[in-house]
Amino acid sequence: MGENKECNSMVDNCEEVPTKEVIEFRPPLYKQRYFFVKNLVQQHKPKKVADLGFGDATLIWMLKYHHCIEHLVGVDTYAGSTSQWEISNLSPSVGDYLVPRDLDLTITLYRGSAVQKDSRLVGFDLMTCIELIEHLDSEDLAKFPEVVFGYYSPRIIIISTPNSEFNPLFPASTFRHLDHKFEWNRMQFQTWASDVANLYNYSVEFTGVGSPPAGAEHVGYCTQIGVFQKNEAKATESCISTPEEHVYETVFTTAYPSLQEKKNLLLVLSAEVLRASNSMRLRFIVDPKKKVNGRLVPEDSCVPRYGLIVTDAQRAQIESSPKPYCVGKKFYVPLERLITFPKVNRLVDSVERLRSLLSEALKLNRDQSALQVDLHDHYSRTMLSY
Amino acid sequence: MRGKSGVTHLLGTLGHPGTERTSRKGRSPAPPRPAPPRRGWDCGAARGGRGCPRGRGGAGRGLGRARGPEDPPAGRPAARRRLGRGGAGRGGRAGGPDVTGPSAPPRRGCCSRARERAPPPPPPPPPPGRERSARGHGLGPRGGGHAAEAAAHCQEGEELQLATRLRATSLKERKHFGGIFRDHVVDTRQYLEHVRESTTGTLGRPVKLFTNHFRVTSRPQQVTYKYNIDYMPDIEDGKVRSELLLQHKAFIGECHIFDGSSLLLPHKLLLPKTELVSLLKNQVVKLTIEFISELSPNSPDCLRYYNILFRRILKQMNLKQVGRNYYNKQEATEFFNHKLVIWPGYVTSILEYETSITLCADVNHKLLRMQTAYDLITGLRDPQTRKEDVEQVSKELIGSIVFTLYNNKTYRVDAINWEDNPRTKFKKSGGAEITFVDYYREQYNTEVTDLTQPLLISKGKWKKSQQDTPHKPIMLVPELCYLTGLSDKMRKDYRVMRDLALHMRLDPERRQHELRKLMNTIQTNREVQRELQLWDLKFDTNFVSFSGRILKEVRIFQGRRAFDSHPQFADWSRETRSGPLLNVKSLDHWLILYPTRNYGAASSLVQSLRKVTPTMGIAMREAKMLEVSDTVQSYTTVLENHVSSKTQMVLCVLSSEKKDLYDGIKQYLCVKCPTPSQCVVARTLDKPQTLMTIATKIAQQMNCKMGGALWKVETGLQNAMCIGIDCFHDIVNRRKSIAGFVSSINQELTQWFSQCIFQESGQELVNGLKTCLEAALKLWCKHNQFLPQAIIVYRDGVGDGQLQALMDHEVPQIESSLRSVYPKDSGVKLTFIVVKKRINTRFFVESQGRLQNPLPGTVIDVEVTKRQWYDFFIVSQSVKDGTVTPTHYNVIHDTVCFTPDRIQYLTYRLCHMYYNLPGVIRVPAPCHYAHKLAYLVGQSIHQEPHHSLASRLFYL
Repeated sequence: MGENKECNSMVDNCEEVPTKEVIEFRPPLYKQRYFFVKNLVQQHKPKKVADLGFGDATLIWMLKYHHCIEHLVGVDTYAGSTSQWEISNLSPSVGDYLVPRDLDLTITLYRGSAVQKDSRLVGFDLMTCIELIEHLDSEDLAKFPEVVFGYYSPRIIIISTPNSEFNPLFPASTFRHLDHKFEWNRMQFQTWASDVANLYNYSVEFTGVGSPPAGAEHVGYCTQIGVFQKNEAKATESCISTPEEHVYETVFTTAYPSLQEKKNLLLVLSAEVLRASNSMRLRFIVDPKKKVNGRLVPEDSCVPRYGLIVTDAQRAQIESSPKPYCVGKKFYVPLERLITFPKVNRLVDSVERLRSLLSEALKLNRDQSALQVDLHDHYSRTMLSY
Repeated sequence: MRGKSGVTHLLGTLGHPGTERTSRKGRSPAPPRPAPPRRGWDCGAARGGRGCPRGRGGAGRGLGRARGPEDPPAGRPAARRRLGRGGAGRGGRAGGPDVTGPSAPPRRGCCSRARERAPPPPPPPPPPGRERSARGHGLGPRGGGHAAEAAAHCQEGEELQLATRLRATSLKERKHFGGIFRDHVVDTRQYLEHVRESTTGTLGRPVKLFTNHFRVTSRPQQVTYKYNIDYMPDIEDGKVRSELLLQHKAFIGECHIFDGSSLLLPHKLLLPKTELVSLLKNQVVKLTIEFISELSPNSPDCLRYYNILFRRILKQMNLKQVGRNYYNKQEATEFFNHKLVIWPGYVTSILEYETSITLCADVNHKLLRMQTAYDLITGLRDPQTRKEDVEQVSKELIGSIVFTLYNNKTYRVDAINWEDNPRTKFKKSGGAEITFVDYYREQYNTEVTDLTQPLLISKGKWKKSQQDTPHKPIMLVPELCYLTGLSDKMRKDYRVMRDLALHMRLDPERRQHELRKLMNTIQTNREVQRELQLWDLKFDTNFVSFSGRILKEVRIFQGRRAFDSHPQFADWSRETRSGPLLNVKSLDHWLILYPTRNYGAASSLVQSLRKVTPTMGIAMREAKMLEVSDTVQSYTTVLENHVSSKTQMVLCVLSSEKKDLYDGIKQYLCVKCPTPSQCVVARTLDKPQTLMTIATKIAQQMNCKMGGALWKVETGLQNAMCIGIDCFHDIVNRRKSIAGFVSSINQELTQWFSQCIFQESGQELVNGLKTCLEAALKLWCKHNQFLPQAIIVYRDGVGDGQLQALMDHEVPQIESSLRSVYPKDSGVKLTFIVVKKRINTRFFVESQGRLQNPLPGTVIDVEVTKRQWYDFFIVSQSVKDGTVTPTHYNVIHDTVCFTPDRIQYLTYRLCHMYYNLPGVIRVPAPCHYAHKLAYLVGQSIHQEPHHSLASRLFYL
């Protein structure tokens, strides 16, 4: 298991027989498989995803960019020597601290086999077994469905495996990888998959990646894929709590900073709020103003004309909110206006929440109804000579 | 992924391999290490500028420079002091008018850093024979000319050779320790007979000192074995290299240290040469492990491995590596209102010193900014026309280092592409065309929201080892680029600086506390201990302590008066303004230019000058007051019409800190129409309570610029010429670098001759040195009627790893120039001292149970100096808060045969001779003059200043 490192393209299989034309996939086949998974993730927005046989963790790395995922788990029998490279790719970077994710994300790598049961993998939304089953010997293959479908029983399972019908197109006529115990044709795979699906109450659809070259369409995709979806109607019964059973050894685990943590939320929120107020401030400085009750108020709507706002509806919403104003050398932006900015609104949903958060991070006016900043900074003083 | 390789195609035409190359100089030879990021971030913050001659506190080093421009005479020093010493009180800005913003270097961080690592890596040592001859007694019968040529020639060849060699050594090795290690094995003391016995002085009052070093109490005592690892095919990425090797952990064993190309093992492998096969994705990589040598326990090479091990340990302690240092994100401090986050961290190195091997640890900070390049661009859009201020954006962005979130990389912005936008297509590595928007969505699930923003262009990292490969420009979307380092805007915002200083400028107590914490974690973390035990490494948990000496306060002579510098604050500002100056120039013909709306400021300045000048002994006549408008054009036109050969001084009042205005004026008055000039920003003259102080400073500064002198000190030198050299590397514009060369003209060291050397980036100083030195000697001879008997060179601006290059090139070059000027057997002597300000070693004294900064004048020449060097530390300046940074001096050549006492005495005294500050600065005055000169030329005038100004401190 764990050999989804296989084939960058199929080139490496044919080195010895250069006479036959090399079939090259674009993008490389392994990427096509990963993109297939990515698309599915995009579509179903799973929260908990496990990759059985994560190999070099490339798929896990690609999946970590998906905002919907909160738990990302990899299992591999060879996970022993988690390398520096994997660790640094999967660990949060400085950027992840600067722009925290909306939701938490934990990535965990386990050493273990897909035919052992570990209760920590129960209850996932998506499990992927990319180029995994063909590495299982017949004994393990027999146990596999019981563990993955029966015990783990995730909402969706993706299983990919080579399509042996495609093999004649390759120069070498052996298996695609030395460790492959078998390579099935479409019929074999589909029969196996349908049986398993029936047994564990899943429905399955077949597809694949790596289209055959013109003229050889009959052989089908190079990689065949089965997508299994649990039939929800009867899913409830599996909710019986399973006894804790920790067989897998944790080799790596990391948690990403997210907006769920208040500190991070404050940081992002104040940056966003300051950005909005800054754009209005610059506008305010050059726009015509009038004096009302000791406040300097813009005559126009004082809405920034670029960035920050994308649609007319958003603009209209901002325009209809209370205007910013100026008293002395201070510039005030009502919280009710701030919250109309899409990027602020995305972070907090009510003025009350905005107030309580901002009061911890930035300066508000006395009645806590508006953000207070200096009207002039270095730039406006020197550049906007007016 | 890696869209960049694709992007590059698009821009093929942009890359002018030639032009790009010029810039690099600043970078250390070590390549890919985001020099930038670090510079950008931590440096920006943590190592700020170098302008401030006077101490600034420890971690906050950078902060000291918060305000840049020095020209405005007035404020500078005060400002400096304020920041340096903590600024509390002292009349707020009083002292420190924020005078001239203009000269404030725009990317201070960069420049400063740049210069530090200036010259290219040292060429490999020449064959011993040649070296000797060059250094020694001039075997060459012909003068220096030929020698120089030959040297230059050799150098070229060597550079080539070097490039090859560098390519051969591992990335990691070069990256982290290359420089320091190269320097530390250079034995410069072997040629210095007179200090064979001891490099320790005796003058002064002994004081017990502590330093932030921890002794290594135990280390492997057996032989270790070094193996070379070869990859077939070759792998560039250090991480991948290490991963491939670790696939054979069982074979090499748990206990190993790998530096990227060589492996250190405590045991011998069965065979001297083993071939292994690793898998990289699907690719088979052949590893050849070949025995190189046995390392004896005290081999310097071992230390390099210990350092690698130590970094591994820091990683285990859950510190996050950013650039080259490690940071503790758990203890982050957020500054919401400044959109900043600070991570505390550590800089460490294990090196061998006088009597023992120690771990030097210092606290350092990383600054994260929650601001993108896009924010900056939109912030500079004209709110009305929606149009970006193209010029202003370029000014602020170009040369800065940005950080791209999605791949955790840093890039230097070289240009801005206003034509394209994120909807532009580029070619991916596969050949497919894709827009930036789609690319980021597909690859990183990241949405670009503003589709009209321009793109940033980065020409990629400069790598010396890849000189021959063409640079491929990379395009970046501003919205996804986070800014790093402190911007000028932030530096000018005293609130930002104040908040940062509070956190980053640690006083000795807090510093010790932080370092204790580090050492405790090392002792208690089980994993760390296991790793250390494998190698039998142990560290003492207490600061190393020893005895230093405090030199006597220095007597300052000003006219007929003499006074001592304050023993604690190292300052004499009060004394200096209460009596006549040493050498006074009267102000007879001078101009004041002011923008119409700043008439008030100008006239109040004149009034104040009239009040303060008589005390100083300056006779001042009425200035010609000229009104100008706020443009460079207007200033220069007025100057053209009114500056005559009689004009002694031009004082320009500026309405704001606009750099282009300042640059324009300086350019005109330094090159086209050479006249000493003084700029003042009107705002600094606003406050009546500080006006007198500022006027005093301005008067003193003008006096110096006209060739006067403020004070002098006794140096004990006779017939000796002092030279200060410092470099400025304009990384921002990838222009040439400039070396300032400042030499004394008179015996009293009150007059200085200033020249600049323009060098192609990365070039050695060699050729320019000769011309400068000859001109300097000529002028000295003219003033003194004879040639100096000794030349003392203080060389600043030397990067890590360049010591050997200095020994091989600069010193011989100076010697050969001397030979060509002096008659045979003249017996002229030369002392060459390398000055280093960027060091991590700190010293503390204990007083009333608390650690404090040592007093100014504290000299350290034991324990943390090196056996192979004639070196010492001096804490010359005083800082009010934070930890003082000592300056390291390394005498690498000395035919004058200074005793340690004499050279320390002289060096300390020279730190009193900087006329822009009535106090002691960090480096000898000539070094700082050289810095100021190079800085002014590099930042503002970009050309050689007119020679008629050369014997005045026009750049003060």
